[in-house]
Amino acid sequence: MINISEQAVETVNPIINESLRTNDFYDDDEDVCVNVRNVSVMFNLSKNREEGIKEYFINMVKGKVGYKEFWALRNVSLKVHRGDAVALIGRNGSGKSTLLKTIAGIIKPTRGSVEVNGTIAPLIEMSGGFDRALSARENIFLAGAMHGHTRKYMKKRFDEIIEFAELEKFVDVPIKNYSSGMISRLGFAVATCVNADIIIADEVLSVGDAQFRLKCENRIQQMLKGGTTILYVSHSPAQVKKMCRTAVWLEKGVVVDMGNVNDITDRYMQTIK
Amino acid sequence: MFRKSIDEFMYYLPFLGEVVRKDFKKKYHKSVLGVAWSMLSPLLMMLVITVIFSTIFRRSIPHYPSYWLGGNLLFSFVMDGSQSAMNSIINNSSLIRKMKIPNYFFCISSVTQYLITMLLSLIPYFAVSFIIGVQPSPYMLLIFFPIILAYIFTIGFGMFLCAYGTFLRDFNYLFTVARRAWLYITPIFYPIDIIPENYRFMFELNPLYVYITIFRDFAMNNTMPSERLLIVATFYSILTLILGMTTFKEKEDRFFLYI
Repeated sequence: MINISEQAVETVNPIINESLRTNDFYDDDEDVCVNVRNVSVMFNLSKNREEGIKEYFINMVKGKVGYKEFWALRNVSLKVHRGDAVALIGRNGSGKSTLLKTIAGIIKPTRGSVEVNGTIAPLIEMSGGFDRALSARENIFLAGAMHGHTRKYMKKRFDEIIEFAELEKFVDVPIKNYSSGMISRLGFAVATCVNADIIIADEVLSVGDAQFRLKCENRIQQMLKGGTTILYVSHSPAQVKKMCRTAVWLEKGVVVDMGNVNDITDRYMQTIK
Repeated sequence: MFRKSIDEFMYYLPFLGEVVRKDFKKKYHKSVLGVAWSMLSPLLMMLVITVIFSTIFRRSIPHYPSYWLGGNLLFSFVMDGSQSAMNSIINNSSLIRKMKIPNYFFCISSVTQYLITMLLSLIPYFAVSFIIGVQPSPYMLLIFFPIILAYIFTIGFGMFLCAYGTFLRDFNYLFTVARRAWLYITPIFYPIDIIPENYRFMFELNPLYVYITIFRDFAMNNTMPSERLLIVATFYSILTLILGMTTFKEKEDRFFLYI
């Protein structure tokens, strides 16, 4: 499960959309780095979420212990190949973030399975698990440790991260005093510097100024060439088209379609109008 | 399966170090004396307790301040540690929602936090002991044995509590009451002699009594505790750890719905 392979595998998948659609085209391909099989995720709606014994017993007496089910994902299957950039598109609440979290291993699927080959750097809700009371310096070591890197290793990458995030002047300021742009810059810099095989980016590039966004895009392109896989959520069709080759369109937890990024995004945009 | 768990543990080991370091820093963030409080607060407490109780128990307990402080250090460590492990998932929810880190690491890190505080408190403990006339002896080096056993016990107990406490937050209030009761049934500020001889075996059902007695034997009585006590102590630690781990494992998949 956990292997930190640093080999750069460059792959081009000209028929990627076909392979994704049929789902068994590449079935015994070693290059699949994320394999999502029939994943369904169920949440209990907060109506009956007991947070205390009193509520629990009241609900039990009322016969309400049964939950109102909500399926955030239903039977989602998906294969991502090494070095690919996949965009997840869909409206709010369509299950994009849930799918990303399931792939990242943060949520365990209620049904189905997720197989991941390689290490994942999840960048969810901008900050990759930063502690707001700590400075950028301390957070870099903390975040590095979350990816299994020792302090020694992170010290080597430290300057690179700070330079990329353009935070030289604020290294020792607690990040609670940072602007949201600064935090997302730091988050992006850390996630892309920890040598993960797969990067999960949920709405990260929407913050930050145009210049930094360009820098991030360049960095992502560079990493894609190096064999890193990227799963990407964005509400900007232009950005999605620019960054990704493949798109997965989700609606109410179900995959509507997936394939070439231009086709899918255009069709998705038509449904909105 | 087992192999995989070990690999996972080793992979996230640097994280454990970082989190303990971070929490430690944050704990004393805004106090002037900082880490010194880890040593100062047991001393101040001891002063209070000694003034109150030493007149009552003076004849039956030699070196009363050491007797009390030793018991209390271990007791507070186990209780504070398990309570903070119980809340560790809720307190780290923002991290758990965003990163993939095995949940049990948060239990271990919060207990380790209190372990470090306790180890620091051992410095004033021994300082006071020597001042009031406890003789130094090689047995004192063995105190790490009961401490490690108590550490394992606390992790297991904390994981067990966490498996339920994450869902029902009432456990915190119950715990506070239980802790008080537990304090009274454990001979920390009173000598064991005040309990009739034929009831004393019941103390051995209390893991804390066992750890504290072993600790006191090594740290101030300069004796080897009975083999029976050592076996019972090891048994409690391992059993509790297994119980905690299995309960935790069973419940942890549903944590993310409640944080």
